[in-house]
Amino acid sequence: MANLLDVQSVRAGYGSINVLWDMTLGIPEGKLTCILGPNGGGKTTLLRTIMGLIPASAGNVSFEGRDCTNEKTWNMVSQGVVMIPEGRMIFRDMTVEDNLLVGAFPKKCRARYKQNLDMAYQMFPRLKERRDQLASSLSGGEAQMLAMGRGLMEEPKVILVDEPSLGLAPVIVDEVMGILDNLRNQGRTIVLVEQNTNKALAIADHVHLVRGGKVVLSQDADQVDLAHLHDLYFARDHQNAS
Amino acid sequence: MNKLKIPAVLVLAYLVLPLAVNGNDYVVSLIVAALTIGGIALAWSMLGNLGGMVSFGHAAFFGIGSYASALLTIKAGWPVLVSMLFAGLVAAASSIATMPALRLRGPYFALSILAYAEIFRIIATEWKGLTGGAAGILSIPRLPEIMGIDLGGKIGGYFVVVTLVIAMVGIYAVIRRSPQGLALKAMHDSEDATRVVGVNATMLKALMLVVSAFFAGLMGAFNAHYINFLEPDYAFSGSWTTLAIVAAIFGGYRTLWGPLIGALVVYLVDQLVFKAILPQGHQIILGALLGAMVLFSPTGLTPLIAKLTRLQRKETANAAH
Repeated sequence: MANLLDVQSVRAGYGSINVLWDMTLGIPEGKLTCILGPNGGGKTTLLRTIMGLIPASAGNVSFEGRDCTNEKTWNMVSQGVVMIPEGRMIFRDMTVEDNLLVGAFPKKCRARYKQNLDMAYQMFPRLKERRDQLASSLSGGEAQMLAMGRGLMEEPKVILVDEPSLGLAPVIVDEVMGILDNLRNQGRTIVLVEQNTNKALAIADHVHLVRGGKVVLSQDADQVDLAHLHDLYFARDHQNAS
Repeated sequence: MNKLKIPAVLVLAYLVLPLAVNGNDYVVSLIVAALTIGGIALAWSMLGNLGGMVSFGHAAFFGIGSYASALLTIKAGWPVLVSMLFAGLVAAASSIATMPALRLRGPYFALSILAYAEIFRIIATEWKGLTGGAAGILSIPRLPEIMGIDLGGKIGGYFVVVTLVIAMVGIYAVIRRSPQGLALKAMHDSEDATRVVGVNATMLKALMLVVSAFFAGLMGAFNAHYINFLEPDYAFSGSWTTLAIVAAIFGGYRTLWGPLIGALVVYLVDQLVFKAILPQGHQIILGALLGAMVLFSPTGLTPLIAKLTRLQRKETANAAH
């Protein structure tokens, strides 16, 4: 199947500090692709570069076959590339419902905001209970659900989820992973950035291991040898480094 | 309750208040001045509340609006009401020149727009061929007579300014409820997050600046025709900005009616009460009052009143039980 999103030899970073050196990977449609890797490896930077939040200094990003390297973030969103950022980035001073409604800002989703709101509430009943509360009063897990609900309001073709398990209790992590699993089973394309290898592998279709700004391993999830993955993850591969 | 609020305000504004104070020219002129400041405060709050940007430069838009309207009527011979609207557009267009300041945030934006305001004042002073320089412009045409009401008179001016500010509140209410308004509200939590949800944050902020400048310019145009005289140091005076900011913060700049109520309370109390007690330096009491308000009710007067009435209602409900 053709890739929905393609990243070709991308180089990017923050000012004089380069993070992504030569990033190449493809995101197939309808699959859950997992990007694993240690801290500072460039996982979040990759997502931010795809979204156009930071510029790529070389290489290109294409979505649905069209080049969209360094496209403005809001244009990426209206094309259907949606990011659920690390640390959720919910609007703390607004109610839960207003947070979701901001998600319906792109013009193409305004007409169907009512259906999408119902869908989000159906998927996250707890958000419906708390619809009139300020988002700052939510727990970590609820905030993550709100961020996901807000992302779904944007009618995404591909959802980039950045470390959803961060700072959550194990039970909640399972719940969040279950939701991502469900979304994929409904046919959505998901890119999951994680550090929690076990949980992520359990639901992933394909795995990329990112270290030092490059992809060092790319395998279907059911072929991954966990011991080998962890060796690569913790850079214990000096002996057979290519 | 809410349905009754709007007609109540309209009756008060168009019937009760004019009947109560008609004939007392001093009080009428104070109310007109207070509403003029209220209008600037409203325009300022649109940018401050929705755009999340504190401007120290609204005197510039006010001044440009007043000069534009005065010159259009005198030099081009346009009718007063038409040139007032057009002056708003001129002020809005001039705000485009200040847009580089939008790249800055917080105090840096406030300071750079203050500098812009100063530039416009200097242009008005030095471009003598157009503006008459520091000597100013005399005998600016009065507001016309419509349906037997002389809008140029004291009470007529009142009707014009009250119509302008009520229309502004209406437009402000519509903007606040629109998806753009919601996105703007989200923006002062985190601009990066609004980008991620597909909001062109830069564009929306720029739009808000233009709208805010339009209304400040409109108030300036009204003021020019109301007092029939302009000079750069008056039209571009920094006190148009500071008084408006004080009024907006005092009344509650995040609320719809707060800036207007703030302006009426602050200006009238200052002029009628404090000035009588302390003819020199009466503004100092105002400063102390604003300080107290920020300390005890940072959201301003309007939310404070709402809170107190809620408490009282609860108490009466408890007493009834």
